Amino acid sequence: MGTAALHADHHDHHGDHHHHKESFISKYVFSMDHKMISKQFLITGIIMGVVGMGMSMLFRLQLAWPDEQFGLLEMLLGKWAVDGKLDPNFYMGLVTIHGTIMVFYVLTAGLSGTFSNLLIPLQVGARDMASPMMNMLSYWFFLASSVVLLSSVFIETGPASGGWTVYPPLSALEKAMPGSGLGMTLWLSAIALFIVSSLLGGINYISTVLNMRTKGMSMNRMPLTIWAFFFTAILGVLSFPVLLGAALFLIFDRSFGTSFYLSDIYLEGVGALENIGGSPVLYQHLFWFLGHPEVYIILMPALGITSEVISTNARKPIFGYTAMIISLMGISFLSFIVWGHHMFITGMNPFLGSVFMILTLIIAVPSAVKAFNYLTTLWKGNLRFTPAMLFSIGLVSFFISGGLTGIYLGNAAMDIQLHDSYFVVAHFHLVMGSAAIFGMFAGIYHWFPKMYGRMMNPTLGYFHFWFTFVAAYLVFFPMHFMGLAGVPRRYYQFTLVKEFEVWMDVNVLITVSALIGGFAQLFFLFNFFYSIFKGKKSVQNPWQSNSLEWSTPVERIHGNWPGAIPEVYRGPYEYSRPDREEDFFPQYIADDSAPEVLVPEGEAVAPTANEPEEVESSVFFAAIKRVFGLS
Amino acid sequence: MRVDTLRVLINSLSKRLVAMFAFLLSPLFLLAASDVVAPPKEFSPLNWDWISILICLLIVLIILVIARAFDIGSLTEKITGKTVVSWNNVNAYAGMVFLVLGLIGVWYELVYHGKYLKLDHSASEHGSTLDSMFFWTFGFTFFVFVVTEILLFYFMYRYRYNEKRKALYYYHNNKLEVIWTIVPSIVLTFLVLRGFTTWSKITSDIPKDSQEIEVFAYQFGWKARYGGDDKMLGNSNFNFISGTNPLGVAEDGAVVELIKELEGEVSKIKLKQATAADSIKVWKAAYDRMVATGLDRTYPEEFKGVKEKYNDAVSGGYERQLKKDLKRKNTALKRISEYQKDKDFFDGSAKDDRVTTEIVLVKGKPYIFKFRARDVIHSAYMPDFRVQMNCVPGMPTQFAFTPVITTAEAREFKNNAEFDYYLFCNKICGAAHYNMKIKVTVVSSEAEYNTWLATQAPFVAPPAAEVPVAPAATDSTSVVKKGTVAIK
Repeated sequence: MGTAALHADHHDHHGDHHHHKESFISKYVFSMDHKMISKQFLITGIIMGVVGMGMSMLFRLQLAWPDEQFGLLEMLLGKWAVDGKLDPNFYMGLVTIHGTIMVFYVLTAGLSGTFSNLLIPLQVGARDMASPMMNMLSYWFFLASSVVLLSSVFIETGPASGGWTVYPPLSALEKAMPGSGLGMTLWLSAIALFIVSSLLGGINYISTVLNMRTKGMSMNRMPLTIWAFFFTAILGVLSFPVLLGAALFLIFDRSFGTSFYLSDIYLEGVGALENIGGSPVLYQHLFWFLGHPEVYIILMPALGITSEVISTNARKPIFGYTAMIISLMGISFLSFIVWGHHMFITGMNPFLGSVFMILTLIIAVPSAVKAFNYLTTLWKGNLRFTPAMLFSIGLVSFFISGGLTGIYLGNAAMDIQLHDSYFVVAHFHLVMGSAAIFGMFAGIYHWFPKMYGRMMNPTLGYFHFWFTFVAAYLVFFPMHFMGLAGVPRRYYQFTLVKEFEVWMDVNVLITVSALIGGFAQLFFLFNFFYSIFKGKKSVQNPWQSNSLEWSTPVERIHGNWPGAIPEVYRGPYEYSRPDREEDFFPQYIADDSAPEVLVPEGEAVAPTANEPEEVESSVFFAAIKRVFGLS
Repeated sequence: MRVDTLRVLINSLSKRLVAMFAFLLSPLFLLAASDVVAPPKEFSPLNWDWISILICLLIVLIILVIARAFDIGSLTEKITGKTVVSWNNVNAYAGMVFLVLGLIGVWYELVYHGKYLKLDHSASEHGSTLDSMFFWTFGFTFFVFVVTEILLFYFMYRYRYNEKRKALYYYHNNKLEVIWTIVPSIVLTFLVLRGFTTWSKITSDIPKDSQEIEVFAYQFGWKARYGGDDKMLGNSNFNFISGTNPLGVAEDGAVVELIKELEGEVSKIKLKQATAADSIKVWKAAYDRMVATGLDRTYPEEFKGVKEKYNDAVSGGYERQLKKDLKRKNTALKRISEYQKDKDFFDGSAKDDRVTTEIVLVKGKPYIFKFRARDVIHSAYMPDFRVQMNCVPGMPTQFAFTPVITTAEAREFKNNAEFDYYLFCNKICGAAHYNMKIKVTVVSSEAEYNTWLATQAPFVAPPAAEVPVAPAATDSTSVVKKGTVAIK
């Protein structure tokens, strides 16, 4: 289905779709409809999320009560928890698979896969993705990858257990730990499939955004969600192949006797290995070349969703639309040249370390701009606290508190002390874990009516939010202190070191909070699955939002709009315009009585009585805008 | 069985869950917290705590009922047109409550845990510069954190929805945006410059007279190597590692012994290869016998081993493995003999090296740790000294520092007579990663250190008569040799 064809005769096409009866298989299983694919991504992501979270609760039990025996563990894990005590190897396995699932399967595929698929065609005004077939394949590769990864938990030698970063030589040598055998092979296969899925998706998102926007939808009228998905896809397409390369070299080292990452190794019980000349640090460079953009691949869609949700529910234009785009652009660009900050103390040349430190701290500037812009958007707004809005505010809170600690870790000197300590765990769980998952929840609550034509119960949503929010802070905030006291991460238990025993009470607090936070997700799961079938029927535009997706009918049809694709007349954030009675002004409504757009986005607005005087665009911003063609 | 195990779990969790629910729900934040930090230590499956479980269930039920009730409330709202509960306001107030309790919590954490943090009394010289950097960064970030979080939740409260009000149509202000681009940039520039100078000083500013100590990491432990009387570390190579030479130092005697050992292994493997056909026959027979007699089901554990050998034999894996082992041993032998030709490499300076299971340092003396790893990546982490460096197989790394607080002094100010410095492993390295550490002791005088070093055996015990003269002689020659190598 070519782009041109879609645009040229969408009337005919639409007719085809409407009367064509789809079979169950083509509608629900091998669907090429972006909306169905997004639901498939979402539900798979939720299932993976439940597994990943469940794993974290298991190992949190071990950390809080290392000397107690849990019957449940033995029941669940069998030989990995004899007498109810978790096996150290399996503890590592749980940590590894928890990280892998959360980073790749929930927050990459589950978040960006779901919402890019759902929103890109709907918000730019396209009947479907540029290549629906590739889109379908993207999901099925993802599902295959999930199955392979989960299967690795059930094999005799256990899953991959070298941490989610799987640094060789630990992950390359079968004799170094049990998880580096078949479990690692399955991990690598799963990741290879995942990369294929991610690339198929990413290429599709980019081409759809660039080529298939409806009439009037210029780049500077796109919602920030689309901008975020667009940059995310670019990051993915550029960085995932590098991970594939890294994984491929690792496969060679493991199975074909090459020495990309191996050198000078003597293994107990085996003797000196033949491999010389390789470098384990090479793997780290390759891995983090993906790994760092990856954290923005996770975070940026959440930021995009938040921008949209906050603006809609604050009934106020997002503050600094252009600045938001420029900072996304800055973050995307910088994310490619800061990977070395994960490696300050790996023995990398110290001068290189200082270069990476400087670049890393620069990235704090666009991040700060985003945080301040969110705050200003809330200022003098008219805030409706839908569950989506609450989760977005939660995201802003996590983004600030987690982002600030990045300034410590990005500083090579302080990283000497903090590297691989609990401080790091606290930092990334707040800024990339909690923030991104809150963005995902915000997206689900906000666009659930678009997905299923029904509303989720808001009250359960409030409970879900407050329990999760408080629990997340109680889990991750105390970890900063542990890290500052020099407690290393990935330790199976702390009772063997006298010095760390003072942290046992904190570990208990963290675990109990994690359990509560985990159980709070039942509010969500119940609400989600119940509302799919029994939720209150939604109206067409339940949040009185401006963007294009709410112009589609509640009933979901293949092709999205029953008639012609609506034209777009203005930017997506025209809320509470003083010249309008209503507090929103959808993009797709032409209004002859009002001037089409007050002023082009990002330029001086005619001051009204109660507004502060506008300042002329500075030379700097004007130049940037001209360069990027933003206005 | 299943019920029992579930019971154990529920029992063990219920009390804590109740405590936590109380913690969340109670306005007496601090009091509740002090309850939570000391959970009941013992439990027994026999006293199944019905009350706690019921309370747990009750709380969940109550929450669901409340949710339901508010739902009905919203229904009546629709029917009667009156507002029963404004969730919008409830959420706005909840935000304020969260802000206040959260700030109290942060303050409580700072007071309660502040004393455990390693931010003062750095045991190394460079550590105090890190601590002061931390202080500045903390000041800046904590200020931003508190101000922005207060603004966030205050806005949430102040600008909650009101039908009569319209939001301000305000989407752009260059002045503001430039301000909050420039101000963080300036602060960050300050932090970057400080970080840059501190980092360069720590990594590059190494005193010339630093004593070298080799720190060797392996699964799962640490060893240290001191230069001995000549204060010079002998060369080493992973091919020389053996039971008697755990660090693989280049010492003639040990290496000759290793060669013999390897040659023995090679001939053993060759023997196995010659008799492979017979072994395979035996294993097949054993397997067939067990299967035929039904013993495979009676003794599953034993059968597992038999089956493994059978599979290996049938698939040809056994012979392949032998071939691989042989090749590996031969390669090692070849490499060792090549090294042996290089007389500079075996300069004898390894003979008096002390391999120790403890690290002893002298206060105020500069050291440079040379890290090596035997098998996988490890990381040497000494939080008290603000020292961390990865130990990478195939890539030597180093870290230079000067200890300034002795163990005895640390014990005094920590008010803990049993306190010891440790070097931990801080890079995931396998099952026993969590227990991979080595004690580090800082003594106050050279004399103490020398007494300790004298108790450590040199790698090769010197012949009694030569002791006073010989080391000095080898010492000077080896220095000259090393010098020539360097010039080459």
